[in-house]
Amino acid sequence: MDELLLSKVRLGVVAELLNFDWVAFSELARALDVSNGNLGAHLAKLIEAGYVDEEKSFVNRRPLTRYRLTKRGRDAFAAHVSRLQALL
Amino acid sequence: MERIGVSEARDHIEMVERILAESHQRLCSGGEYFVVWGAGSAFVTVLFQLVDNAIVPPAALWSVPIVLVACALFSIVRGRTNRNVLQRSSLVQREFFNVLWLTLGLAFVATVAGYRIFTGAAGAAIWSVAEAIVLLYIGMHGNRRAQVFGVLVVASLIAANFAPPGTVGYVLGAGMLVGYAGFGASELLARE
Repeated sequence: MDELLLSKVRLGVVAELLNFDWVAFSELARALDVSNGNLGAHLAKLIEAGYVDEEKSFVNRRPLTRYRLTKRGRDAFAAHVSRLQALL
Repeated sequence: MERIGVSEARDHIEMVERILAESHQRLCSGGEYFVVWGAGSAFVTVLFQLVDNAIVPPAALWSVPIVLVACALFSIVRGRTNRNVLQRSSLVQREFFNVLWLTLGLAFVATVAGYRIFTGAAGAAIWSVAEAIVLLYIGMHGNRRAQVFGVLVVASLIAANFAPPGTVGYVLGAGMLVGYAGFGASELLARE
């Protein structure tokens, strides 16, 4: 099992990113129904592990932070879900 | 077993399946591009037919490059704006656009650079083929509307083949408007 993905929120983040090129922070928080602080902490761990890339920019003078899954994150997710399925 | 029980594993798997099912529904194919290019290509095709039938003076053909440049400019500006603003940008959508630009780009090159080969209705028919490829490709990824509208474009191509002389452009134009622009409009309505 992947220790990082044992957390339901982190697993949810990776699943949300799977089919998308980039997803904004606000979209992730809304889709997963978690607080900004909670999501930020989980994202920091995923970024540190190299599972997720972060991009910060400004759109109409407002900050926009977006995330995308890395190859490493994608591989880890596939392996982790396979192991979860093997448990059932 | 590593720090997770069977019921918890099932709970996690169900969450992943739900997220993936929902994210699939959020995939969007950029309806505005289809509306603009469908309407633009239909306008050009019908205009050529009108000029050929001597209903409209040949001077009206000057509007063709203006319309095509306007369509291209819209696509470039809209594409750049969307890229920076989108809250979600899907991998499949990026693939759709790669196929869209490749196909329409080749159709453009064929009709502009190969105008001596693809004369008359053949030039317009190339656009119909390109648009049908784009729609059916999107349809292959599970978009039912794209399948239906793609078949409409193909049907217009076949109908144009048997249409009386002097009406081929109208039939092809109708296929582009209903099939290609119609698909774009339906995507925009579905997004609402």
